[in-house]
Amino acid sequence: MAKLWAVAKREYLERVRSRWFVVATLLGPLLMALAILLPIYMRQRSLQTTRASNITILDATSSELGDAVARALGTGMQGDTSSARVVRVATADMARAESTAMRDVMAKRIEGYLVLDSATAIGESARYAGRNASTIPDMERIERRVEQAILANRLRSAGLDPDRVRELSRVNIQMTTERITDQGRGGSGAGSIAVAFIASFVLYMMIVLYGQTILRGVIDEKSNRVAEVVVASVRPESLLAGKVLGVGSVALTQLAVWVLSLALLIKFRGPVLSYMGMPNATIPLPQIGIFAIITLLLFFVLGFILYAALFAAIGAMVSNDQDAQQAATPVMIVIAMSAVFIQPVLLSPTATLSKAASWIPFSAPILMPVRSGIVAVPWWEVVLVMLGLVVACMVCVWFAARIYRVGILMYGKRPSLMELARWIRYTR
Amino acid sequence: MAELALDIQNVVKRFAQHVAVRELSLQVPEGAVYGLLGPNGAGKTTTIRMILNIIAPDEGSIRVFGQPNNQSRLLDRIGYLPEERGLYKKMQVRRLLRFLAELKGIRGREADRRIDPWLERLTLKTSEKDWGLAKVDELSRGMQQKVQFIACLLHDPDVVILDEPFSGLDPINAQALKDTVIELKRRGKTILFSTHLMESAERMCDAVCIISRGEKVLDGSVAKVKSEHGVRHVALALMNQSTDGVRNLLDDPRLVKRADDHNRFFEVELADGANAQDLLRRLVALGVPIERFELVQPSLHQIFLERVGAQGIEAGITGHG
Repeated sequence: MAKLWAVAKREYLERVRSRWFVVATLLGPLLMALAILLPIYMRQRSLQTTRASNITILDATSSELGDAVARALGTGMQGDTSSARVVRVATADMARAESTAMRDVMAKRIEGYLVLDSATAIGESARYAGRNASTIPDMERIERRVEQAILANRLRSAGLDPDRVRELSRVNIQMTTERITDQGRGGSGAGSIAVAFIASFVLYMMIVLYGQTILRGVIDEKSNRVAEVVVASVRPESLLAGKVLGVGSVALTQLAVWVLSLALLIKFRGPVLSYMGMPNATIPLPQIGIFAIITLLLFFVLGFILYAALFAAIGAMVSNDQDAQQAATPVMIVIAMSAVFIQPVLLSPTATLSKAASWIPFSAPILMPVRSGIVAVPWWEVVLVMLGLVVACMVCVWFAARIYRVGILMYGKRPSLMELARWIRYTR
Repeated sequence: MAELALDIQNVVKRFAQHVAVRELSLQVPEGAVYGLLGPNGAGKTTTIRMILNIIAPDEGSIRVFGQPNNQSRLLDRIGYLPEERGLYKKMQVRRLLRFLAELKGIRGREADRRIDPWLERLTLKTSEKDWGLAKVDELSRGMQQKVQFIACLLHDPDVVILDEPFSGLDPINAQALKDTVIELKRRGKTILFSTHLMESAERMCDAVCIISRGEKVLDGSVAKVKSEHGVRHVALALMNQSTDGVRNLLDDPRLVKRADDHNRFFEVELADGANAQDLLRRLVALGVPIERFELVQPSLHQIFLERVGAQGIEAGITGHG
């Protein structure tokens, strides 16, 4: 047992110390930060030019319309402290006033200018020219403000109080969505689908990545001829177990760093965003229970053990990397199949095929979390699938250990299936 | 007689295509330097692997210090230098040595304490450079062999098993290895090593076992083995280079069974019923100046050739030892 621990410790420390691990572990949170902050940043960018209200209103309507628009523009936008300047012009002087305003825009004193004329007064048209003319949200906003000002004018001339009307006409309801499935009311909305998708994809990635780490580790030990020294001190079964334990812990460490930094990022997004000069944004967070997290973790651990055992057996069968790629293909296909099924299961989690795929031990570690993330899978079903996975693990580990202990000292040609069967039968 | 460090009884190991070891029995007394001799493919490595419980024999029993060799505690008392040297290339030397010691049940801190004296002793750590901090693949081949040798001895084993220890060693490292073996012997350790180099075996071993094609050909103390092969050997040295007359004479099957021709020196095994004096007379009659004519015990090399012969050194046997 102490030797198993020594093996696990070596696997863990050597890998955690490696440059690859450090880079990948740090790059993960960085990419996550980008993935979360960039859309917010982009949305904010497209929402407004921060000085969108810094415009000149050339008012040729000879009414209060320009002032009303300026007032409306001066309120309401977050982070925009600028205000519009109203210049009353006679229709005849408009051309000269526009060229002055244009020079102001070119000299960056203002963002643009808005022309209000007789056509505006009767509610037909208005003109805007400026640097942000192609920023749709800005234009929509200015247009809406002009419309509001005209509407207020009309209401007033009809003897109605514009504020009272706005108050009465304000209706804004929030509609929540909920799915009803064969099992009844279950699951929530888009948030949990995203979480299920991301979780299953990360699970898939980690199992493939660290499964292959085991594969390479075993081949390394063979080609470096260090295996013989090691198995002279420790039983091959312990070596295999220590390897899976050590590499699995590396994967969990990386996962923990990623999840933790994600959590911190979401929690402290306010300060980070305001540091970048952006207002806070809400991120729709689905509720994830502790039960779901434990289930996810168990599926990851079991799935990893299952595939790690298979990869270790393959590593023991071959003597070089080329052979390994070939020999690993069947296992890679099996695990890739589960990844291919992620989307169908997401779209129709109650279909028979989806259910079956989430029951098979080889795809269950990836697909069961998906299904149970979207629809309410009965707890006993999850437990049964998990038990099936445990049995599959035990069978695979047993076979893998027998192949491993023979193969680890064999060099040269890859064994045929007949020879493999003989390896498994060897007493030791 | 001392207690037996290793006691192998009627061990058989079959592989798919051939029998690697058949009905092999050998006893290594505690404190002995024991040579396991045989041509390539004779089953030496297979035997050693069975002693270390890396593979299990199909039949027979192996005991280490009187106990079955499947106990981890017992295997911790053995140090092993495999024929195929191998280390984790990417690991720091010190961490690697500590790991390998931990696999033998030594605590990490205790291992750390022992590593430095060894590094200094094998000049891997000098006042200018501490190779213990380097990665294994930064070391030269010779240095890697030293590291492997330290790994084999760091846990202070009672039995040291060296598989072809001299293969690939430069003369300086070979000398260091020999010195270490002798020192281990002086400290009461048991050393078993396999080799096909008869000269080094003859000089170092207390006892030997010669195996061929998985079978024991002979075993026993070196003195006993040699005396059993009688005084049928003549060491002959000429003053000048040999002549055709001498060669013809030594080819005479009535007189000579086998002659190992080193040009000026010959190791001659007399034919059955032949007389050394006859040979001497005939040589004198040829008129060649003789520097030395001595009745000697055969060298292990001669015994090996005589007993194993060409039939044992069979090409095409795959696998190790």
